[in-house]
Amino acid sequence: MKRHPIFNLILAAAGLCILLPMALLLVWSAAARWPWPDLLPEEYSLRTVRELLFGTASLPALVGSSTLLALVVAVLGTAVGLLTARATELYDIPGKSLVRFGTFLPLLVPGTVFAMGIQITLIRLGLADTAAGVVLVHTIVAMPYCITILTDVTRAVGVKYEEQAAVLGAGPVRAFFQASLPALLPGVLSSMSMGFILSSSQYFTTLMVGGGRVRTLALVLVPYIQSGDRSLSAIYSVAFAGSALAVFFVLEGLLHLLQKRRVIL
Amino acid sequence: MRKRKLTPLLLLLPFLAVMALLLVSVGNILAQSLGYIPAFGLTEPTLDYYGALFREETFLDSLWVSLRIALLSAVFATVLGVAVCAALVQTGRTRGGMLYLIRVPILIPHAVAAVFVIQIASQTGLLARLACALGLLSDPAEFPQLLYTPGYGGAILAYLWKEIPFVAYFVLAFMAGISKTLGEAAENLGASPLRSFFQITLPLSLPAIARAFFIIFLFAFGGYELPLLLGPTLPKALPVEAYQLYTSPDLLQRPSAMAMNGIILLFSAGMALLYGLVLNRLCRRLGVAA
Repeated sequence: MKRHPIFNLILAAAGLCILLPMALLLVWSAAARWPWPDLLPEEYSLRTVRELLFGTASLPALVGSSTLLALVVAVLGTAVGLLTARATELYDIPGKSLVRFGTFLPLLVPGTVFAMGIQITLIRLGLADTAAGVVLVHTIVAMPYCITILTDVTRAVGVKYEEQAAVLGAGPVRAFFQASLPALLPGVLSSMSMGFILSSSQYFTTLMVGGGRVRTLALVLVPYIQSGDRSLSAIYSVAFAGSALAVFFVLEGLLHLLQKRRVIL
Repeated sequence: MRKRKLTPLLLLLPFLAVMALLLVSVGNILAQSLGYIPAFGLTEPTLDYYGALFREETFLDSLWVSLRIALLSAVFATVLGVAVCAALVQTGRTRGGMLYLIRVPILIPHAVAAVFVIQIASQTGLLARLACALGLLSDPAEFPQLLYTPGYGGAILAYLWKEIPFVAYFVLAFMAGISKTLGEAAENLGASPLRSFFQITLPLSLPAIARAFFIIFLFAFGGYELPLLLGPTLPKALPVEAYQLYTSPDLLQRPSAMAMNGIILLFSAGMALLYGLVLNRLCRRLGVAA
């Protein structure tokens, strides 16, 4: 299909706008001196890499705890999403439209507003300043996206595989895990990566609910940006964006691998 | 469709727990914004805190700033995102490498997008340096100031960098489906590709486009870190202003902070209502299901 060259031009411009800042980020993270108006740094150094690896923030622990927290949110959000999607798509329940409206409620209550409103309750529940509280709030923020993705796949897959498995003598649990879940897996993985991304990029809710005690990459990066240190904010951005992209591509790669081996459709 | 009663209820339990927490949060905000905080000795509900806000210049500026950021981000992201989406559909790149590239900004955290904007669009950023190399200016101050200004150009740019690809990706499946069936049918009947796009594919994709617009508007309206990192000291965006008041050592400021949150909720709800009405009319005119 040969089309107007303007479409290729649009895509080229989009590609440039996406790639250029990321390339520039790498240059900035290695720049020692970059005076106006030079187009490239005058000197390079590994100061930022040293600071990143051995500095006050202790990167391995930070990346580890950030990633773990976001993964827990991804799993929880996906589990809640899957259960909710099954209830609305596979059963004839009253108030289905109410559930659908509720799904989008977290979009109507911005994270900032929600966190300020729930803080007093979290304090009473003993969840303020804890990782569990942060996980809870992040899961709620991620919920609309997880439920939407999983509702679509649950509707598409339906109960046909489970019914087949039940006819062949499988119990309901086994029928779900061995017959439906493989078909749902693409949706499950994309819901997980959405949950991961949303959690790892949260700044305000992590700061407020975690009370500064739950440290993530977002919490370390923001003060560097505010202080105006371009090299350090660049290197922490590399670590931050890098870990988000890495998890995404691992999940995506897993999906391709499973599709190739025909474990799933 | 199965008809058991208990199973779906059990399946919905975690969802209902989440709903309960959301409602508790909204309830807390409304109660405190009406000046009902027994712990601080405030037990008389009143609308005074809301009234006082609307007489305050700083608050009105903040409200305006937040609405402006949300509206400009959503309008430009939607228009440009649909253009990118159309380009993907028309060139047949609905999967593979280009799509992965388009998805990257969706994955990049907002704080990192703020770093990008500082490195590129600030007065000593890459664009200013390029302009200097081309002889267009010699002093950084001659480059238009976009960051840290009341116009919030920096925050809007950062939202656009993240949300244009979001719109493109969000609308893609919908638009590709319509283009492949009805769009190509129109072309087979003699419509030019341009006419088929503007008269068939684009109008029928409007429900998905409207949803993307709505999501971005709400997100930018309630956003915190981009206005914080790329905005001026005054006027602050509404969520930033609300949080500053919330953390004020003067506890009697708490009801005002919560009234600001209440107003954010009110505008979000109004926007949702508007979206519902527009979508309903749209779907009826197009003859498609919502």
